[in-house]
Amino acid sequence: MISDKGFAKIRVILPLVLVLSILSIQLVKKNSRMETDLDKYMPQNHPAFQFSDSAEARFNIRDGVLLAIESDSSIYSTATIQKIKDLSKRLAQMDEIDPSGISSLADADNIVGSDGTLDVKPFFRRVPTSQEEIAALREAVRSNDMVAGRLVSEDETTALIVAEIDDDLFSQEFYQELLALANEFSGPEKIHVAGRPIVEGSMAYLAPKDMKKMVPIVILVIVLVLWFFLRSIRATVATMLVVLVSTVWTFGLMAIVGIPIYAVSTMIPVMLIAIGVADGIHIFHHLKQVQKSNPQTEKTSVIRTTIKDMWRPVVVTSVTTAVGFISLVTSEVYPIKYFGLFTAFGVMVAMTLSLLLIPAFSMVFGISPIRQKKSGRNQPAMSWLVSFSEGANRRPVLSLGLTTVFILFSLWGISKVWINSSFLDNFEKSSAIVQTDSFVNSKFGGTSTINVILDAKSPDTFKKPEVLTLMSELQNTTVSQSPWVGNSFSLADYIRRMNRVMHSDSAKYDIIPNDQNLIAQYLLLYEMSGDPENLWKVVDGSFSTANVTLQLKSDNSKASNEALAIIEKYRNKFNEHGIHIAYAGSGYKALIFTELILEGQIKSLLLSFIIVALLLGLMFKNVQAGLIGTIPIVFTAIVSFGLMGWFNIALSTTTALISSIAMGIGVDYAVHFLERYRSEIREGRSPEKAGILTIQHSGKAIFGNALVVILGFLVLLFSVFPPNRTLGILVSLNMFLSFLGTVSVMYLLIRKTKLFTSKGGRL
Amino acid sequence: MKRIQKIMTTVATACLMVGNVLAQEPINGLTIIENVYNRAQPQDQQGVLTMSLINSRNEERVREIRQFIKDDQTVKKKIMFFLSPADVRNTSFMNWSYSEDGREDDQWIYLPALKRTKRISSEGKSDYFMGSDFTYDDLGDRRPAEDVHKLVREESINGIACYVVESTPRDDEYMYSKTITWIDKEKWIGVKKEFYDEDGHHLKTLTVTESKKIGNYWMITHSEMHNLQKSHRTRMLLKDITVDQGISDSQFSERMMMRGL
Repeated sequence: MISDKGFAKIRVILPLVLVLSILSIQLVKKNSRMETDLDKYMPQNHPAFQFSDSAEARFNIRDGVLLAIESDSSIYSTATIQKIKDLSKRLAQMDEIDPSGISSLADADNIVGSDGTLDVKPFFRRVPTSQEEIAALREAVRSNDMVAGRLVSEDETTALIVAEIDDDLFSQEFYQELLALANEFSGPEKIHVAGRPIVEGSMAYLAPKDMKKMVPIVILVIVLVLWFFLRSIRATVATMLVVLVSTVWTFGLMAIVGIPIYAVSTMIPVMLIAIGVADGIHIFHHLKQVQKSNPQTEKTSVIRTTIKDMWRPVVVTSVTTAVGFISLVTSEVYPIKYFGLFTAFGVMVAMTLSLLLIPAFSMVFGISPIRQKKSGRNQPAMSWLVSFSEGANRRPVLSLGLTTVFILFSLWGISKVWINSSFLDNFEKSSAIVQTDSFVNSKFGGTSTINVILDAKSPDTFKKPEVLTLMSELQNTTVSQSPWVGNSFSLADYIRRMNRVMHSDSAKYDIIPNDQNLIAQYLLLYEMSGDPENLWKVVDGSFSTANVTLQLKSDNSKASNEALAIIEKYRNKFNEHGIHIAYAGSGYKALIFTELILEGQIKSLLLSFIIVALLLGLMFKNVQAGLIGTIPIVFTAIVSFGLMGWFNIALSTTTALISSIAMGIGVDYAVHFLERYRSEIREGRSPEKAGILTIQHSGKAIFGNALVVILGFLVLLFSVFPPNRTLGILVSLNMFLSFLGTVSVMYLLIRKTKLFTSKGGRL
Repeated sequence: MKRIQKIMTTVATACLMVGNVLAQEPINGLTIIENVYNRAQPQDQQGVLTMSLINSRNEERVREIRQFIKDDQTVKKKIMFFLSPADVRNTSFMNWSYSEDGREDDQWIYLPALKRTKRISSEGKSDYFMGSDFTYDDLGDRRPAEDVHKLVREESINGIACYVVESTPRDDEYMYSKTITWIDKEKWIGVKKEFYDEDGHHLKTLTVTESKKIGNYWMITHSEMHNLQKSHRTRMLLKDITVDQGISDSQFSERMMMRGL
């Protein structure tokens, strides 16, 4: 056994921690970088992503920045048309934009035919000035549905410029340049800037920025509540030091091993703060009890006794929490794997520091003396909690009945939970981004796209009339059956248009001709007259693979899944022609990505649940204790997912990860509670007395822990970024539910199973 | 004194004359390009053109075309019949281009599946020829007077002594900002040509890999155009060439287009 003098040497920890933390901060400052390219988040070797990436390369599928030029009355005036042309030109000059990726009325191909001629030409070369010229242009656009409704709105008040950019080129500077450009050309027309790259880019930029602003406030509130609960500045400082240092070291390690900071990594401080304060609270709470029961003892001895009593629950809670996070390595998504590993590392650091830094800090700065409370208020401490738990215990049928109802109600809610991969839903409904997006959606086919890739092995499949007719039917059905799908585009549109203009622009011929050679000859004609590059966006050179683009008015998963469900009905019909249906594009990838994250999260929850039950069973050498100890986790997980269903909070990357907190916190509460209860029983107390003492001691610490984190995270309700508000609500909710589960159902079962008593049957 | 003056003048004049002869006007860019443009051409020719379109993924599409060309100085008539792929066989294309200033080409196409000949309008010479990387101009129809030519240097390519001429269009709106042509000094035939886009970026390179003397005429038989910006290539192979066979004017008619091969 170490002597008190030897124990005092623990002080050297302090400068050591200081030096390491300064080094970490330096490292983070120098080496850390934010990963903003969303493609880097995707599992590159997942078949769905590989397929999508290769299809994107083959058909040059890229997301577009959208500039909508809204005129008061009609875009058909010389000034407005001039603006469309000038804006297109200016966009083409921007470094991020490939000039060939711009579509607007100024450079769209017009496939025309009047008696005897066929041509593919621009709608205008010089901007029309006379009334006749403008009227002619208007008529040309109206009669060409490859352009009408796509680049000019049906009501003719708005024109659209689409500028495709590569995924990794979007930056805030580029967005600012676009806004400046829009501003320069505004008046009397309004110019709106929208599109997926902007939504994605703004999200990757706004989320961490908002976090940076909010986290200090969260910490401040936690410090205040912590101080209120512990009634000691020293204890508060020591507890917060543990949390902050573990966060700093975690990011330091990330910088050393060269892992960039992903958007989900911004959740690491959140996790470490929510979980890390528990150790400090329990240690200081226990320290106070030790002080109380041995008022004359010297501080070194008090600290030693506290650590001696507490190291076991602290290590067990931390290890079980870390295991929960490490189980995330089963995820196929790398940022999630890293999130799990680094959070686990942070939890272990927090554990080590709690056991070393807290005593060292207390040795150096001393411990706060116990305040002499009025004797009347001393004993009935936590009396409300005692009556609550004991009440639950005394009316087992009522409380179990209520819990069952609550669980069933939650399971019902879980059935309503939906996955949302939407990026746009992360923004405030009143934000400029959402507003411009819905404006463009109201005027045009849709700002989101899904690419349906039709893959046949044999060449010239997509010259077959029956195949093209089926494609056309697929497009029509999807657009007419789904309110979300506003427009579609494919090779079939080219063929129909050419068939029509080759037959004196007669609407009767706006169909796929029933002659494969004729289709081949039309295509040859198009290649001879137009820019064949456009053709290669809808079909490959051997006509064995085609790309059907669907435009959606929403990027949320409900809309995408609805469209996909309609397409799936055609799978067999296409199969008959030897054609396989697959999907590509950023919207589809986001959908798969979210599902992957969720799948990984559920797998890891189940896995860690089993491991935690085993660890707890081992710790208490009692299988029953292991099972009872998982109650707060199960309760928290089920109820919080259930409430998400009821409150229409969709599962997304962020919200799914929060269930990890249910794990970490739920275990902590159970372990501290069980540990205390067991030691009270071991001291020979009756289950009832042991129960009350446990509630007064551990129950109070758990309550304090929950209160601190809940109040801290409720601050996020004032965040300007909606997902961070959801985060605040869910973290608070998880804390509360873990607390509730521990002091009600778990307590009830501890008592009813006569756990740890000689009469308690072992399973 | 007058005598001396007279002698002096005579000597000076003589010197000037000798100088003129010795220095001989150096060849300039315009002359070189005109020599190429005016290189002896057959009155008519026919042959089989194999056009391979190769995209950035190295996927190749091959078209075989039988072509007939007749040039009577005022109008150059060309008729082409597709031999393959099978689904476009006998699709024919006819082009009449006029030497008259400003007169646009007349073009017709015959689609056998539609059994009708259609006029197609040609907006300009900068249209791409049958989806290839060649424009009509690139195929040799651009008149020397449309550009300003400058001989920039002389150098050898693959052992062929060449003039290097830089040509800048007089029309600012033209699709190329300049072209650089390497011309075989002996045969007055292009060996290589670089095309620069409106922004002055290198757009395409044409490489002539084989020229043959058919009858009395030097003709390009193998060439490749590489669009560097789209990483797309077009290879043209000309074979079975016969010249000056006296193809009749009636060969170049809508009736012949419909009759096919």
